[in-house]
Order: sequence, then structure tokens, then C-alpha cells
Amino acid sequence: MNEASSSLIPLVIYFISVIGLVALVMCLSWVVGGRIKRRPATGEPFESGIVSVGTAQVPITVEFYMIAMFFVIFDLETVFIFAWAVAFEELGWPGYAAMVVFVVILVLALIYEWKSGALDWGIKTRTGLERK
Amino acid sequence: MTFLDFQALSPLLALTATILVVLMIIAYNRNHKVVCTTTVIGLFITLATIPCVIGIDPVQVTQLLVIDRFALLLITLIALVTIAVSLLAYDYFDGNSGRPEEFYLLLMLSALGGMVLVSSTHFASFLLGLELLSISLYALISYPIKGLIPLEAAVKYLILSGVASATLLMGAALLYAGLGTLSFEQLGSGFYPEQATVQAYIVIGSALLLTGLAFKLSLVPFHMWTPDVYEGAPAPVTAFVATVSKGAIFALMVRFFVLTGAFEYQSILVGLSVFAIGSMLAGNLLALMQNNVKRMLAYSSIAHIGYLLVAFISGGITGGMALALEASIFFLVAYIVTTLGAFGIVTILSNSDESRDCDALENYTGLFWRRPALAGAFSIILFSLAGIPLTAGFIGKFYIIAAGVKGTLWLLIATLVVGSGIGIYYYLRVIYTMTLKSTSTEPIRIPVASGWVMLLVTATILTLGVYPTPFIDMLGDLAKSLT
Repeated sequence: MNEASSSLIPLVIYFISVIGLVALVMCLSWVVGGRIKRRPATGEPFESGIVSVGTAQVPITVEFYMIAMFFVIFDLETVFIFAWAVAFEELGWPGYAAMVVFVVILVLALIYEWKSGALDWGIKTRTGLERK
Repeated sequence: MTFLDFQALSPLLALTATILVVLMIIAYNRNHKVVCTTTVIGLFITLATIPCVIGIDPVQVTQLLVIDRFALLLITLIALVTIAVSLLAYDYFDGNSGRPEEFYLLLMLSALGGMVLVSSTHFASFLLGLELLSISLYALISYPIKGLIPLEAAVKYLILSGVASATLLMGAALLYAGLGTLSFEQLGSGFYPEQATVQAYIVIGSALLLTGLAFKLSLVPFHMWTPDVYEGAPAPVTAFVATVSKGAIFALMVRFFVLTGAFEYQSILVGLSVFAIGSMLAGNLLALMQNNVKRMLAYSSIAHIGYLLVAFISGGITGGMALALEASIFFLVAYIVTTLGAFGIVTILSNSDESRDCDALENYTGLFWRRPALAGAFSIILFSLAGIPLTAGFIGKFYIIAAGVKGTLWLLIATLVVGSGIGIYYYLRVIYTMTLKSTSTEPIRIPVASGWVMLLVTATILTLGVYPTPFIDMLGDLAKSLT
């Protein structure tokens, strides 16, 4: 283990220097950085723009998140299909079959989303969730 | 991939097909009963494909998966537990507000992840299985929309599970950096290299890997999430987390250690022993202080995984993996059946419309006078957890101690004995509460499906405790074939 622990020394030095660097940067910015005195008008835009009202954290309709999530999911599927397309020749028919299965599952998921009303905008049109 | 490969994978393929069918049923006809019935039928079809595979095993399907007796046993177990949880969940959600249909979808996805885990021989399939299992669990834990407790539990599980996966990946990356392969078998052939640098990579990589696994298995000191998640999750999901999730990860750990032979490193054995002693002591001591049945069972499950590690470590020390595997698989099966039963009782008493599950100890006051059959089943389950003879838990613990004695692990055995002694107190306390005079006269309804599940679980516990010979013989063959 002696040789092993000696091979770890560079790693330890690296860790220490990372922590040291971060500490140094933070201290320097505190020492050198300018000071701002907080007055009532400090946060206001100076003779430009409009005075802000309220916070930016307003409730946003859940549909936006749904669309964002669907985008991430289907975007990722594109990545997989792209990886297959690049190696199309090498993979041949077995690769094609695998990709057909993949796309069929994807279509089924899309049908599910559509039927359960996840693509509808506004609660009134969301019909799929009623229990029969 | 040949035809043989597809035949070997038929349990996994059957379950996948069921998931898609259920997805379409939900899309076109949202009906709780139809969805639950299809789920159970699909899981039985999955079970029915297993005899077709038994003749041809073991099959190595590409580099990623191996379907052998060990994997088939655990796939059977996972399918059975999933059927039980589906039936329990049906009664738990039936007639209540909310939309319970997607629950079965997520449950089956999670079970599929578990099945991939128990048959994986490569880090890629390991990670796929693990993420499939855990990502479905995040949604399952927060499934009921009834206040903040399930949400809190899900967020805790999400974050800690993510950290554990990251640690695990880092471990895998370091092993890859050292040995240049991700397949367990190929890792095994180069696990004892000459160069000390590579050895350092392997030791650190294995340590990170073990940390990640210990998180998922809730071993001390990585157990913090367990009681909160068990308490917050709806009772059927808790049953699933405590059985399938832990069982599958333990099975993966067994396979990793058997294929790579990581036992030869003294430091790994020491680490595992620390986990085991800590889990047995802390699990049992903290369970003493709980007035909540779910939290108590959570700590007791921490302790049980600690017991399980004792057999596992003894296999590494003696080099005779056969007995250790036999002992740990028997104990694992006994643990899974018993824990399923314990959370099954909680599920029967709870209802998804109430803001909390029926998990406070005082809710169990006088259960013997109100529902003798239910209280009797719960007593048998608690006896099995405590390791009292004539139950599966006793044979399991006996096996563990036998394996520990063979490996001369006196310190671990002493901790196990002390831990079991403490355990008896808090298990019996629940039984004592059930015998007290009842304060409530409200009738308890036992739903049909859940009632049958509990009857079968209790019967299995007693059968394994009274006449375990056929099962032990089967495990003996299995352990020999694996090593």
C-alpha cells in the first residue's frame, strides 16, 4: 500500500489547492470589492425603466411544466434515434427492429399522454381524467 | 441476439408487454378494477414464463444480463411481491378520491427495474435497472395527494437516492479507470493487479460503490432517510420499498462480489463489518424509541439488513461461498415475506383518503378483541421478525448464525445476539398493545383480496418455519451453481 498511498499524494495536493484557490478568491473579492451602502432607493432602477412591483415568483400554470417535461423526454428520444442513425449500416436489420420497437413504445406513450389530456391547455378541456 | 436469448428474457419481455397493455387500457378506459386485474394477470403470465426458462439456464444474454437460477428465483420473488402489493393497493385505493390507475403502471416499471438488477452482470445494466427501480419509486412514494408527508418523503428519497447513484457512478468510473472494463466478470479477472496504483483505484472505487449500495440498502451510517421515507410513503409502497428495492440491490451486491471476488481485499471486508455492526446496533436501539409502527419497522429493516451482511461477510472470510449464499438467500426470502406481511397489515388498516396511514402504536390498541384474525397474523409476523421458533425468521437467523460461526466472526455474532435480544422488546410491545382493552368500537373491515394476501403470507411464514427442507434443498443446489 506504500506505493499506492504515495501515488495518491498528487490527488491530495490537488484537492488542497482547489480548496485554497476558492478560499483565496472569496477572501480577495471581499477585501478588494466595493462596498454598497443600503439606502431605501438602492434597489430601484436609476432614472430608467419602471419601478418593480412584487416578486418574480408568481404561480405559473402547470401546463408550462408539462410541455417542458415532454420536450425533455422527446428530445432525449431524438438523441437515441440519432445515435442509431449514425450507425445505421453497421447495425443492419436487427438494429432496425430494435428501433421500431423503441419508436412503437414512444408512440404508445404519446397516445397515452394525448388521451389522458396532458396535451390540452386549460383545465376545462381536460377530459381524459374523469373516472368512468 | 439469438432466439435462445429472447426465450431467456421472456419474463422481462412479458412484464414489459403488460406495462404497455396497461398503459393503453388507462388511455382508453380508465377503470381501477380493470387496470388492477390486468396488472395481476400480466404478472401471473410473467411467472408462467419462468418454467420455460428453467430448462435452458444459465444464459448469458449479451454482456449485460445473465439469466440463471439465482436471477430466476429473485424474479419469481419480485413478481409475487408485486402481485401482493397490487392487491393490497387495490383495497387501499378502492372507492377513494384521486386516480389510482397509474399506480400499477409505476409499480410494474419498478418491478421491471428490480428484475433487471438481479440479472445484471455489467455496470450499464446495473445502472439502468437501478434508475428504473428508483425513478418509479419517487413517483410512487408521493402518489397520494393527501398533505405534505408523502411529498416530503419523496423529496428526501429523490435527493439522497440521487447522491447515492452519483457516488455509485463515481465508483464505477474509478474501477473503469483502473481496469478498463465495466463487465463484472472481466473486472474479476483483473481485480488483483501487481501495480499499487491500480490497486488504489480498485479500493477507492469499491469503497464508493459500497457507499452507494449501503445508501440504497439503508445500512448505518447511511440510514437517515429510511424512517422518514417509510413513514411518509403510502403503506403499500413502503411494503414495496422495504422488500423489492432492498432485495434486488442485495442480490446485485451478491452477484458483484461473487463474480469479481472483491472479498480478497481486507479493507472491503472491514468496511462491510462496520456497516453490519452499526446497522444491527443502531437499528435495534433506535427502534426501541418509536411509537410509530412504520418507523419501528423501518429501523427493524435496517437491523435485518445488518444480520444479512453477517452471512455475506462469512462467505468472504471462509472462501466457502456456498453456505453463506444459502444462508443469505434464505434469510432474504424470509425477510421479504415477513416485511411484506407487516406492511400488509398496516395497509389493511389504512385508507388512502385519510391524511395519515394507520401507523401510530395506539391505533393498534385492542386489535385482538376487534379483529382476532388480523391481530393473530400480525403476531405471527412479529414473532418471525423477532426470530422466534416455528416461523421463517427463526430458521433464517439460525442459518445466519451457523454461517457466522463457520467464519468465526465472534464479534458480529455477539452483536447479532444482543441486537435480537433488544428486538424482542419492541416487537412484543406491539403484541402487548394489541391485547389491551379496546378504546374504539369502530368496526374494521378486512377487504377480500388483502385478506387472501395476508392469509398466504402468514401461511408461507409458518411453512418456511416448520418444514423448510424442500426450500433449503433448492437453495443448496442454487448456491452451488452460483459459486
